[in-house]
Amino acid sequence: MNVETFRYDNKIVRAFAIACVVFAIVGMFAGLLAAIQLFYPAANLNLQYTTFGRLRPLHTNAVIFAFVGNGMFMGIYYSLQRLCKARMFSDTLSWLNFWGWNGIIVAAAVTLPLGLTTSKEYAELEWPIDLAIAVVWVIFTVNLIGTILKRREKHMYVAIWFYIATALTVAVLHIVNSLEVPAGPWKSYSIYAGVQDALVQWWYGHNAVAFFLTTPYLGLMYYFLPKAADRPVFSYRLSIIHFWALIFLYIWAGPHHLLYTALPDWAQSLGMIFSVMLVAPSWGGMLNGLLTLRGAWDKVRQDPMLKFMVVAVTAYGMATLEGPTLAIKSVNSLSHYTDWTIAHVHTGALGWNGFLTFSMLYWLFPKMYRTKLYSVKLANYHFWVGLLGMMFYVVPMYFSGVTQGLMWKQFTADGFLQYPNFLETVIRLLPMHRLRAVGGTLFILGVFMMAWNLYKTAKAGNFLADEEVQVPVANPEHSHGHADKKWGHRWLEAKPITFTVLTVVAILIGGLVEIVPLYLIKENVPTISSVKPYTPLEVLGRDLYIREGCVGCHSQMIRPFRSETERYGEYSKAGEFVNDHPFLWGSKRTGPDLHRVGGKYPHAWHYNHMEKPESTSPGSIMPPYPWLLTQKLDTSSLEARIKALRSVGVPYPEGAETTAQADLKAQANQIVLGLKTGLIEAPADREIIALIAYLQRLGTDIKSAAVAQVTPTPTPTP
Amino acid sequence: MIKNVLTHIGGVEVYGIFSVLLFFTVFTVTLIWAFRLKRTHLESMGRLPLHDGTPTPASTTSNSSLPNSRHE
Repeated sequence: MNVETFRYDNKIVRAFAIACVVFAIVGMFAGLLAAIQLFYPAANLNLQYTTFGRLRPLHTNAVIFAFVGNGMFMGIYYSLQRLCKARMFSDTLSWLNFWGWNGIIVAAAVTLPLGLTTSKEYAELEWPIDLAIAVVWVIFTVNLIGTILKRREKHMYVAIWFYIATALTVAVLHIVNSLEVPAGPWKSYSIYAGVQDALVQWWYGHNAVAFFLTTPYLGLMYYFLPKAADRPVFSYRLSIIHFWALIFLYIWAGPHHLLYTALPDWAQSLGMIFSVMLVAPSWGGMLNGLLTLRGAWDKVRQDPMLKFMVVAVTAYGMATLEGPTLAIKSVNSLSHYTDWTIAHVHTGALGWNGFLTFSMLYWLFPKMYRTKLYSVKLANYHFWVGLLGMMFYVVPMYFSGVTQGLMWKQFTADGFLQYPNFLETVIRLLPMHRLRAVGGTLFILGVFMMAWNLYKTAKAGNFLADEEVQVPVANPEHSHGHADKKWGHRWLEAKPITFTVLTVVAILIGGLVEIVPLYLIKENVPTISSVKPYTPLEVLGRDLYIREGCVGCHSQMIRPFRSETERYGEYSKAGEFVNDHPFLWGSKRTGPDLHRVGGKYPHAWHYNHMEKPESTSPGSIMPPYPWLLTQKLDTSSLEARIKALRSVGVPYPEGAETTAQADLKAQANQIVLGLKTGLIEAPADREIIALIAYLQRLGTDIKSAAVAQVTPTPTPTP
Repeated sequence: MIKNVLTHIGGVEVYGIFSVLLFFTVFTVTLIWAFRLKRTHLESMGRLPLHDGTPTPASTTSNSSLPNSRHE
């Protein structure tokens, strides 16, 4: 038995910690500004760059990948070294990870306000940034696995399993969902269309929540909670079951984001069942966390760090009970597209990720700066202000969601919609939106308190960049005792590569069983003969729709409910989306569904509405888009876009790109003529013309055929 | 609705049955594994995060050895 001396790298932990706090402020402030715009649209500062549609992805990306991402790296880089009794595998890789990741965040902060987006939720960044993400993630994974391989501790603690699952699954998800064909330096089209794109996107989207916001943080909980409570985890056995059940179940649950859509019924049911089963491992993990504090609850009273931790774990429990509930089809028919979803994700984001990150920060700064926390009192204020902020955020959003869901479905005794005007259901929610902004303000106030507290702590302390320690060591690769030769979990804990392979198998099975039928669906989506590719002008109009983030507030998926077909028209069919790269079904209706908006209003209505929404819809909270009326439509990349769309499967005939410019002009002139009948004189080369073309096309393909012709599908033998 | 849209996907029912069976197999194996583990091993694993290594004299001012109650 030797004693080895080595140093933990605290510098990299501090770097991630600082980035985490900075981006917490940035990301939450973007969210607050977006929240204010939902009752006071002028808060977009009359700038296209800060209008809701572009601000929302900035907020979600900043909070998920910048705030939580940096928080995750901070916690992993700290705990992994200590659990492995080793410095990180490579300092160079550590810093490449830090600068690469934060460079990506800066790129996102520039491109998203510019409207450079794929529109796929939480995967909005365009293809050059997608490539960078893949590279940085590989760097992180190599550093992680390298550190595990050179560890001085024989067994891998449960937190490390969660880190391994995170690294591998995020890589798989990111690559599969980001497969796209570039049509220029900052424009690409998803290789999937319609139903396939929706299924891949929500397989990704759901598991981004699972493997970016949950599994790494569970690993951190399993490290930092015992550390703070100064006692081992309640049941290590339960943590093993928690891990395997969770990673196995999570990957299947994605389709619960698409209930009652045009996704096949079997996939919906599969997603629902696995989502409901998920409650078991999730609650196992939560109880394991809370029970770790048995006999130590007195510490919770004194230590703000533990207070944050307890609320975080409780919020995890609440969110993971609510998630399966929302995945039940009947509940989802009410909750989907409403603020209920927003409430749900913020229980997770503010409570679980937010409070757990704050907890780690309050714990790490005094440790790394070898001093006491500057003010425990201020940390306690932060706790209460944060908790109050969370309540003010979440509770009004529940009321808002349920209110709107019920209003949409309400019929009069005579069988007519009680609230046929969508706007009426929005205006009713505005008091709740105001309260939500109060909650958000309080939450940010708390973060400022924390930033000040941590700054003063750092100033008073003395930073320990390289923490020198000694450990008695027996080389893990040469010290397998007799018991470890047995085939069992104990053996597995000492075999990182085998463990990694098994983890990949677990997550791939779920992915494959969903993706194999996905290809079957591709063969089986009934073609509707009247569904044709978009015209060149409509393609550019659709790209403007994507640029402005319209999908953030408007769905294009009418569910097969009478309340929806009465309001919007014929329900949406899978065959209508075969040329939609990417799909634009949306997940939230702050405004009405637009799938059947084509032909519903004259061109002039759209023109006036985009210039000043209140002129056509008094009381509307939609922001004005005057720049669409003045900015010239950029047609320079039209040919490249048509070619790219053809390469992903849109059936444009050969040579369509050569006539595209002429076709575009001809259609634009038609729209200009149409506008004239509404007494509007508009040049044919403005962006608004393309957008009108696209909006007027929406959902009209099946109307154009006298009877929608659904070709019978061959049934392949299983 | 689905009838009109996506009528027949060949042998689709097998996916649901396969996935649930697979999960229960994995879950059962995990349970057996977990319950066959020795108590001493579980205890030593649970205690892993509590030991970061012994600080050397160069790091003695590190408060890793100080109690958590440094918070006022």
